[in-house]
Amino acid sequence: MAKQVKATKASGGDNFTRWLVIGMVTLVVATGAIFSVVGQKTKANESFAALNNFKVGAPVSASVDVANGSGITINTGAAKTIDLWEDPQCPICNTFEGANGAYIDDLVRTKKANVVYHVLSFLGNESVTAANAAYCAADEGHYLDFHKAMYMVQPALENSGFYTPKNLVKIGGYVGLTSNKFVDCVTKGSKLDQVKAAYDSMAKYNVKGTPTVFFNGKLWERKNSGFVLDEFSAAFEAS
Amino acid sequence: MRKFNNRFQPVITLVSRLLLGGVLLVAGGLKAFKPDESAGAVAAYKILPTNIAHLMGYALPWLEIAIGVLLIIGLSARLAAVIGAAVMLIFVAAIISVWVRGILIDCGCFGGGGAVDPSKAAQVHRAYLLEIMRDLGLAMTGIYLYFFPYGLLSVEKPLQKIEEQ
Repeated sequence: MAKQVKATKASGGDNFTRWLVIGMVTLVVATGAIFSVVGQKTKANESFAALNNFKVGAPVSASVDVANGSGITINTGAAKTIDLWEDPQCPICNTFEGANGAYIDDLVRTKKANVVYHVLSFLGNESVTAANAAYCAADEGHYLDFHKAMYMVQPALENSGFYTPKNLVKIGGYVGLTSNKFVDCVTKGSKLDQVKAAYDSMAKYNVKGTPTVFFNGKLWERKNSGFVLDEFSAAFEAS
Repeated sequence: MRKFNNRFQPVITLVSRLLLGGVLLVAGGLKAFKPDESAGAVAAYKILPTNIAHLMGYALPWLEIAIGVLLIIGLSARLAAVIGAAVMLIFVAAIISVWVRGILIDCGCFGGGGAVDPSKAAQVHRAYLLEIMRDLGLAMTGIYLYFFPYGLLSVEKPLQKIEEQ
């Protein structure tokens, strides 16, 4: 042991090699990281292309029901109620939206049901940022479109740096949310209290995952492993 | 023990270098071209602020590759081993941290990563334990290399030894 320590002390004189190596490592790491950052930015911009032909619907006024887990509620007082529990980053929620989203939008727009959207944020920081933006959109009557658009550009991976205030404002821009009020609300995180309240209410309603659906307060237990519109609409009609 | 070490040190050094370097190179290589996955995996530990975690997710695979290559070819092996061991100890600390805080994630060590369903808690905890043991073992090889960086098949030789010959 003593021998090798001595030997390296002697070779410690070769500072040039050491610094050359440190320099090369730094260069590799910096180049790799910059390459990745640029690549991600490009990919995010490309995903916005999906929103190019987005048809913005009429505004629908929404409110926040503090008594019901601070959910975003539309058509309060309608005969039937659907409670939807979703996290903006949850990939299965996106599958659910793909199968049933248009049907639910229609129920809301034709006032056939009181739909309460519980925007959860248990999948990490970016869910919190996105949920905050969803509440901001609800304030301006554009929750439905914003919710739909958010799923259209949802990245495959959670917390990958996509749901930033900047990108969320950009999504808003595609669905007619261009007011300074909205931009302010997203960037300042004005709705974080409601986001937290919605998250905290999961325990109260015994919601353990997303998407979870309640018809008139009763948990929907789907039989199909995937999401099938027929099964969902039948369950709604029967409720 | 010392006698054993004196006799086989060049071989042990080579094996340690290949082990630590190989694991780092493979781990880095599997992640380097999936930056979104890697960024998400680091963020899932919820230790660093999200944007810094993402940056780290982009940079870490390349650091692993660089250190791995240095160890395998045996250039600046001592410096590379110290960084490699430090990285392993940081991984251990990070896994202990998520375990203590009750967060369930895939470590994302070789790609993948992110939150795991609560129903798989037992499996995740077993995985944490194995990962901690594995990383501690790899850190040990790094520490050994700090003391004995020169062995078989290494690009760099100690100056004194060359003079001795």
